[in-house]
Amino acid sequence: MRVLVVEDDKDLNRQLVSALGDAGYAVDTAFDGEEGYFLGDTEPYDIVILDIGLPKMDGISILEQWRRADRKMPVIILTARDRWSDKVAGMDAGADDYVAKPFHMEELLARVRAQVRRASGHAKSEIECGPLRLDTKTARVTCNGQQIKLTSHEYRLLAYLMHHNGRIVSRTELVEHLYEQDFDRDSNTIEVFIGRLRKKIPVDVIETVRGLGYRLSETPSPG
Amino acid sequence: MRFNSLAFRLFATAAVWTLLVLPIAGFIIYRLYRDDVQTSFDGQLLKLVNAITVDSMGSSDAQPLPPSNLYEPLFEVTHSGWYWQITPLSPANGRKLVSPSLATWSLPSPAAKSVKPDETGARWMNVKGPKGEPLRMVEVIDSLGHEPGKPTYSIVVAGPQDWLDHLVSNFRYRLTTALALAGLGLVAVTLFQVRFGLLPLLQIERGLANIRNGTATILEGDLPAEIEPLQSELNALIRSNQAIVDRARTQVGNLAHALKTPLAVITNEVRGDKTGLGDKIVEQAEIMKQSVTRYLDRARMAARVGVIGRVTPVAPVVDPLVRTLERIHQEKGVDIRVDCPADARFSGEKQDLEEMLGNLLDNACKWARHEVDLTVVLPPSTSRARNRRLSITVADDGPGLTDDQRAKIGKRGMRLDETKPGSGLGLSIVMELAHSYGGTCDLGRGPQGGLAVHLNLPAG
Repeated sequence: MRVLVVEDDKDLNRQLVSALGDAGYAVDTAFDGEEGYFLGDTEPYDIVILDIGLPKMDGISILEQWRRADRKMPVIILTARDRWSDKVAGMDAGADDYVAKPFHMEELLARVRAQVRRASGHAKSEIECGPLRLDTKTARVTCNGQQIKLTSHEYRLLAYLMHHNGRIVSRTELVEHLYEQDFDRDSNTIEVFIGRLRKKIPVDVIETVRGLGYRLSETPSPG
Repeated sequence: MRFNSLAFRLFATAAVWTLLVLPIAGFIIYRLYRDDVQTSFDGQLLKLVNAITVDSMGSSDAQPLPPSNLYEPLFEVTHSGWYWQITPLSPANGRKLVSPSLATWSLPSPAAKSVKPDETGARWMNVKGPKGEPLRMVEVIDSLGHEPGKPTYSIVVAGPQDWLDHLVSNFRYRLTTALALAGLGLVAVTLFQVRFGLLPLLQIERGLANIRNGTATILEGDLPAEIEPLQSELNALIRSNQAIVDRARTQVGNLAHALKTPLAVITNEVRGDKTGLGDKIVEQAEIMKQSVTRYLDRARMAARVGVIGRVTPVAPVVDPLVRTLERIHQEKGVDIRVDCPADARFSGEKQDLEEMLGNLLDNACKWARHEVDLTVVLPPSTSRARNRRLSITVADDGPGLTDDQRAKIGKRGMRLDETKPGSGLGLSIVMELAHSYGGTCDLGRGPQGGLAVHLNLPAG
């Protein structure tokens, strides 16, 4: 899952990046409105955390322009302006949630998880796919009740596939959603991680669709 | 009309002037007329006495002749008031001639009573006639044949003074009536003039009332040139007042932004610190955060005091809030049911109503199982506008509160359940806002067992 953090306060930006990174997200950052708008407009993010009071371009304008351009990723507004009129303005501009500063990081992470899940069509905080079960709150994956130990990159890959289970996910899409912007993108690394995952998961759930990508299958054949 | 009023001042000065001038004018006109009539009557008497003198004294006889011409028919009617009399100044000089109207009566001689002659030689006197009626009398002294040395006679003509008096009093009556009517008319016109002239003041009063009750933002309407500067000054004052409030709000918002981000940084920075220092910092940061919120709210409320009142329609505030909250609580699928009359209006700031309803609805959504009910009740429009109250109830179908919990919850920052996100400031802000408008905020049990919060606010 790839997150964009647009926040002009350097300390808060750093804290958000660190907390989101710890929670298994690939994080891109922007420190002003123009940069944030450009990134959100060009890169496929799974969620955006957007400050309202930004230099160069304010958060509400950024959000409105994204929505006009049909950019549909969930956006959580993060602002000190916590009057209801501000919240209404933010939600009307197209935000999906609203977090007022100062906030508890755990609360923000919970909101981020909820928005990501909702955007990929999952109602509950646990996503199931055949024998696999992903607890988005604790970032743990089990297979038939047995916990699978994963590195952070393996987790990102499997979590993305599970959020989008039932459909074919291309290598390019995986690269775009799993790595930060300045990461050295080589789709071969995806194959390496897929290979590792296949070894760690006792059943064969990851199906390779030739020429198109990967798909999680609900009825896996024993691997 | 009050004693201390512009209308009274204008009316009183105009009325006093009218009441002073009209009698004086009346008196002068009366005197002029009376003198005029008297002069013309005297002129007639003088004409008669001169004619009789010429007629009687013109002969060269030893005796004066009775006047050949009658001149005045009433000389023939007994006691008619019109008389003439020719008397020799010394009895030896002959006979005394009188008009038939005089009968046995005789007129006194002004000369004998030492009345001084005027420049024409005539002597004037007022006497009583045979019936006691007032007479105006003129006497000329002349000698027979108009030659000196011949016997001299006193020729007297008298006319009825009461005829003259009657004429004058008749005129006085009509003059008084006319002037009194004119005075009444003037007073009525003054009244109208004052009312009409001061009408723009009434317009200003209505305009200001509209501003106070919020149906207008500035003093509107075409006012007369004299009051127009006042109007533009008032509007400038209202605008500058509004600008001050807006500026204060902006500054307050900026302060909030400036303080809250560092607070978020501090709190997050010590997250996970296990030395105890972290807990202390988080605790203190929480206190700072509450202080910031509390004093920002206070500043906002203080900025509102004395600001000219506004009226906020309720429905346009409720709709966006419900839209926003249903989105925020989308996950949970809470249904917010609204029952709000279209004409319900709150006498106060839009932002404050938004804060109250937003916090109450947000709380209700957090605790509700499926439904939240927002009910706005407007009192019947027959009650006086100034005392109308708006009753707003927000009820949920959640677990509700015990009596003890309800007593505790109003305290600022008091949270009953730390697991639900929020600062715990929501309800106490609502209470403070409601009180600042002279309203109330009570907690009760909803029809579905959940918490019901009743707001009672001034209606607009």
